[in-house]
Amino acid sequence: MLFVGVKIKMPLSDTRLLIEIICIALAGGVIGLDRTALGQFMISQPIVAGPLVGWMLGDISAGLVIGALLELIWVLDIPVGTFVPADATIVAISATAISILGSAGGARSELVGFSLLLTTGMVQPTMMVDQFIRKRNARFAESASSAAGDDIDQAISRAHLSGLAVFFLKSFVLCLFFIPVGLIAVMVFEKMPAFTHRAMALFIKLLPYLGAALVVRKLSIRKLEWFFLAGFIVAASLTLVFHVRALIIVVLVAAMGFLKVRYSE
Amino acid sequence: MGNDEHMIRKSDLIKVFLRSLLIQASWSFERMQSLGFVFAIQPVLKRLYPDQEEYRSRVRLHQEYFNTQPYLAAFILGAVAKIEQERVFGRNGDGNVSGMKSALMAPLGALGDSFFWGALMPLAAVIAVALLITGAWWAPLLFLVLFNIWHVGLRVAVFVWGFRSAGDAVALMTQYRFTIMAKRFKAVSLAVVGGTIGLASTWRQELKLALFRPGMINTAVALILTLALVAVLRRGGSPVKLMLGLAALCLALAYAGVV
Repeated sequence: MLFVGVKIKMPLSDTRLLIEIICIALAGGVIGLDRTALGQFMISQPIVAGPLVGWMLGDISAGLVIGALLELIWVLDIPVGTFVPADATIVAISATAISILGSAGGARSELVGFSLLLTTGMVQPTMMVDQFIRKRNARFAESASSAAGDDIDQAISRAHLSGLAVFFLKSFVLCLFFIPVGLIAVMVFEKMPAFTHRAMALFIKLLPYLGAALVVRKLSIRKLEWFFLAGFIVAASLTLVFHVRALIIVVLVAAMGFLKVRYSE
Repeated sequence: MGNDEHMIRKSDLIKVFLRSLLIQASWSFERMQSLGFVFAIQPVLKRLYPDQEEYRSRVRLHQEYFNTQPYLAAFILGAVAKIEQERVFGRNGDGNVSGMKSALMAPLGALGDSFFWGALMPLAAVIAVALLITGAWWAPLLFLVLFNIWHVGLRVAVFVWGFRSAGDAVALMTQYRFTIMAKRFKAVSLAVVGGTIGLASTWRQELKLALFRPGMINTAVALILTLALVAVLRRGGSPVKLMLGLAALCLALAYAGVV
């Protein structure tokens, strides 16, 4: 950096970290567009956004784990009517970035667990900011309505596409805020007693069960819990007794579920 | 009355479809997708109404309140394009395009939310998570393929159907049977989630809760843990509260030296 002819040398790691945070926030802004404003091809879902950011930061494994767990937990938090769900995209991107940037050489299990715990503090702010933006977006429709004469096309396009910039900025700014705050929290966590680290390593192992329970609870219609138990029995038997590969089991269970519901219709 | 020069072309419909991908770019609580709708339909209106006064009048009409499931909005866009064309060629009086939009947006919204968000997305997600959690790094790609084959295929199909049928939603629902498909997808999702728990002994190392040596006991514990959490959820509680509760439990166990 240069201030009035005086050169200030920054440690390479700080500059690099800053650049990485900005790049991830920019990526978050672009990926976040897919959530509402552009296409909705689901690259904004945690199971895709997490690994994508992990790949950008050189540790796809952390992104895969965080993405999978957050996907299970938030997949059925759906946008119905005026309800604005938690922004799982920003949460997944921030948690992945925090866990990777907060480690030296590969995110450790306890750090991934801690990053996932930090996401509990991100949910409410993302919802509040999203709601604020959606209230303010009404001005775009108003400005398009008040446009007159020959420039009506330009007015509509300009108003509507301004929404893209707003949704981009929302994700960009939130990622730019959450990641540094999360990294500071990680610095504090690293200095905490060893039992907290063991706790976070255990925490990450319990989250898949929470995710599964949330899916069962939200999809559960009378009698259909039997599908859950049937899937469990088939998979457990094939794994433990016949040592069949997981991929084949998943396909078999899905096919079994499909045939069972077809048969019972 | 219109002439052939002002008949809608394939390129106009393609532009409408591509613009429909941005239908929620300016979503607001007050006007929802209204601006997105008029932005999407503009190419067709431009083709059909060369007279600027009439064009602006139709644009103003389509700035009315509109909101539905974003994928199924393609059906209404296709239908509106057809109705506007029929109107220009004097085949359907004044068309009552507003009535058609009002009648369809709520039912298609409910149908689309229930099918795409409530059934298809969880199905693609749980299949991908089941594979990922057992070591398949390519599972996110599979998720995108599974979801978008349905998403893009249906989005294009309903757009074309909307245009050809001028908004015959009954025929649409008969053809695609969204409710039945949603029920099947939910059942399969539950089976796959059960299968994922049954595969607990094969999960990635960082996620495997190997408390006891024999795999069968670990797998049984996995089932009990999941059912216990389902029971807790039935009493109420958000994902955040449960995550915090689990974290507190983990801290207590670690502090007590259990882990």
